[in-house]
Amino acid sequence: MNRQDKTHSSSQTQRTPNRSAFALCRNSRGKVRTHLVVAAAAAMALVLAVALSACGGSSATGAGGSSASASGSGTDSGNVAGAEAAATVSVDSKPKQGGTIYYAHEQETPCLTGGWVQEAFIERQYADELVSQTKSGKIVPWLATSWDTSKDGLVWTFHLKPGVKFTNGEPLNAKAVVQNFEYWSDPSNGNGVVPYLANYYKSAKALDDTTVQVTLSKPYAPLLSSLSQGYDGIIAPATYAKGTEAICNEPIGSGPWIIDKWTHGQNITFSRNPNYNSAPANALHQGPAYAEKLVWSFVADPTTRYGSLTTGQSNVIYDVPAPDWAAAQENYEVQQYITPGRPLTLDLNMAQGPFSEKPVREAFAYGADRKAAVESAFEGKVPYNGNGALSKSTPMQDAGLEELWPFNQEKAEQLLDQAGWKVGSNGIREKDGKPLNIKLVYGAGSLITTEGATVLEDLQSQWKEVGFNVELKPATLTQLFSGEYSTPDKYDATIGYWTSPTAGVLLIVWKPWDSKTEPNGNDQSFYDNPHLVDLIEKGNESPDPAEQKKNYYAAQEIVTKEQVAVVGVYVQETSIAVEKNLHGVWLEASQGEPVFSDAYFGSEGEG
Amino acid sequence: MGTFAETPGTTAIGVKPRRAPWLKRIAWRVLAAIFVLWAAATFTFFVQELLPGSKATLILNQEHGTQQTYSAKELKPVEERYGFDEPVTTQYFNYIKGLAHGDLGTSYQQHKPVLTIISEEVGPTIVLTVTSLILAWIFALATILLTARRKRAVSALGSGWEIFSAGLPYYWLGVILLVVFSIELKIFPVQGGTSVEGLVLPALTLAIPLAGFIGQVTRDEFEKVLDQPFVTSARARGMGDLAVRVKHVLRHAVLPAVTLSGWALGALISGAVIVETVFARPGIGQMIVTAATNRDVPLVSGVVMLVAFIYVISNILVDVAYAIIDPRLRG
Repeated sequence: MNRQDKTHSSSQTQRTPNRSAFALCRNSRGKVRTHLVVAAAAAMALVLAVALSACGGSSATGAGGSSASASGSGTDSGNVAGAEAAATVSVDSKPKQGGTIYYAHEQETPCLTGGWVQEAFIERQYADELVSQTKSGKIVPWLATSWDTSKDGLVWTFHLKPGVKFTNGEPLNAKAVVQNFEYWSDPSNGNGVVPYLANYYKSAKALDDTTVQVTLSKPYAPLLSSLSQGYDGIIAPATYAKGTEAICNEPIGSGPWIIDKWTHGQNITFSRNPNYNSAPANALHQGPAYAEKLVWSFVADPTTRYGSLTTGQSNVIYDVPAPDWAAAQENYEVQQYITPGRPLTLDLNMAQGPFSEKPVREAFAYGADRKAAVESAFEGKVPYNGNGALSKSTPMQDAGLEELWPFNQEKAEQLLDQAGWKVGSNGIREKDGKPLNIKLVYGAGSLITTEGATVLEDLQSQWKEVGFNVELKPATLTQLFSGEYSTPDKYDATIGYWTSPTAGVLLIVWKPWDSKTEPNGNDQSFYDNPHLVDLIEKGNESPDPAEQKKNYYAAQEIVTKEQVAVVGVYVQETSIAVEKNLHGVWLEASQGEPVFSDAYFGSEGEG
Repeated sequence: MGTFAETPGTTAIGVKPRRAPWLKRIAWRVLAAIFVLWAAATFTFFVQELLPGSKATLILNQEHGTQQTYSAKELKPVEERYGFDEPVTTQYFNYIKGLAHGDLGTSYQQHKPVLTIISEEVGPTIVLTVTSLILAWIFALATILLTARRKRAVSALGSGWEIFSAGLPYYWLGVILLVVFSIELKIFPVQGGTSVEGLVLPALTLAIPLAGFIGQVTRDEFEKVLDQPFVTSARARGMGDLAVRVKHVLRHAVLPAVTLSGWALGALISGAVIVETVFARPGIGQMIVTAATNRDVPLVSGVVMLVAFIYVISNILVDVAYAIIDPRLRG
């Protein structure tokens, strides 16, 4: 889950004005009268426009991406985005109570629960999860004060914190938690937990009021990590009883904030939960939020969003625009979160086409300077990620694979020569009369931002130098959602990411794609290797971190170095800029969800 | 009022006076409106149906945030839930039947009735577009009255401005206004919301290009009418220049632009898509984009119906305005 949102910079595409309509009108001058015909035609034109924008135009909406474990970005900003930061914040006297925090986010999601990272961001505000993950990858108590695992790793028993209530007054007990597990385990419900539980979850039951027993079909070490994401907020039984509309629009949790009102297209206003007693162990303080209100507005346009910070209309903004990155570092506290999970990775189609030959994949990896392209397009804001399997902030990522396939065009040419791809008259290589055409599909304006597209264009011209004819094919979100680019005949390469706090995401990506029983649509290289799956499952099943690491490392090596199924490019990241008078805002570690319950305003002149 | 009825012919409006009785005209109007709405609904339904990819896949990917294909087993519950397992014709008739009962369906992504979603969000867009239309007329008329057929330099300035402003892209204009007046001068809020001061810049962004356009259309007509004998005779009767322009010339010259205003109101809604994003303003603009992107068929259809409805209504209003301005048309 967690992918698609990132639409931000796409507003570019949306900016085309429609003057053609006016021009059309100019011509019609003089013979106006058939209003109804005109009206009908106009309605048709609009339908067409909508339809076209659905199939051709890119969507500009906006929005943010996913995120996950914080890594302090700027050197000067140094505020730790992890609860471990506690000490740095709470040294001075008691934080001031009250005030309203104005936060300008980017994308508005269709629902307040679901499988989008952006939905996890919001769910984190009004709901609590069973456990929390810290920056270092450690799992700490939240609604579950402790847990134990059976010897075979199949039965997990969670002991819940007693006395926690949903904000509608219902008790948050074992029964309620079981109901949430049941909802998550149904794949027809859109939720970010589903892919994690899919292969492992068997059942959940309430042993007593505060004890939940979860039974798995196979041991699953990343269970806790996957349960620490915002998607896994525990929602009240009353919400489930009301059904889909309520789950989407007015979910109730036990979190630090209560949803007052969702004004679509504008904002969500929250008030603090005055009875909040269930903050995670890594929160900066226990008890109700310091501020009284939180206004979470949706400001898709980057200029407007940054402007709302500089004019003081917002205290915090999401996703600092790249052009303002340097200025923001100086004037605000900037926190950047390098998203763990699968980074932005080129998936090479191994099932058919030129990339079914390994030397061609290697040549492709060698053929362009990915690192330089990333540095130049993102103006230093977003780091390069050479390991195509996992991003550098993922626990148990093999950093040794970061320098794989360094830029070396000579090597690339040599590999292609040896594989029988000879340079043709126009500089494009050919074999058996077939040109070396590569169709690279990317989610323009959604998965891939404007800067990301610049990276691809840069690489495209370098690949051309070694004889690849790369066609960059932008795909709309609609096309991606409709599964148009999900089979081997549709592309030679594609690029995407998957945010996740655990290396366990490898299984989600690399489960066999052509399995008759459970085909895996997430394997975009169309690579099947039972040995690989076996390694990942061993990693997932072992309770021993050393054993997990060994297996995850071996799996990463297979897909990146041995098979070149994926080639890493850059990390998914998110950032916030906080005005200096506001303290204690942090980004949690599983998805980079901003946390406002510890935030308080400083007195005049402070900060 | 009717004094100048005999003059025109030359005004290029090409309108034949209608003599049909009111009742018949209204009935005809209503029928035609229903036809337009039906055609819009049908067209939207089938266009969405013809787009590649199954709707069930789309819904699952949209909910889960993925871009994959699903097995028949995974798709089945979704298809049953939304009735996609029925033949397309059945789906179509169910849809039309629902429409006839005022049921626009339920949004695939927001899980709420489309009618509720639209009625909650359409208000700010209507306020924005109507304000823009009024502003555009004020600007256009002021420019015409002050500059048409004046000293050559003044006239050129007026028509030059109209040509220039009619071509201004909304996004560009909006961002310029935002940066200058909100971010730098801090006169207006950056996130305008629905406040009155928040309406100024978005409305200007839409009004300025439209004013240029209305001005262009009206200016030609205005200059032609100034040459009409009845203008000369009015002047001969000792009428002042401004009075001649306002009372006699304008009345004829605005007719083409009035007609186009009905159309412009609809066109402004597409402009609202951009303006609402730039000024972080609620409304249906952003909703249209998201709905189309996610192929939320019921919501897209609902919006199309709404816009068709606005066209129908605004064209009726245009007819009324016509009748008021041009007495020959009064049945």
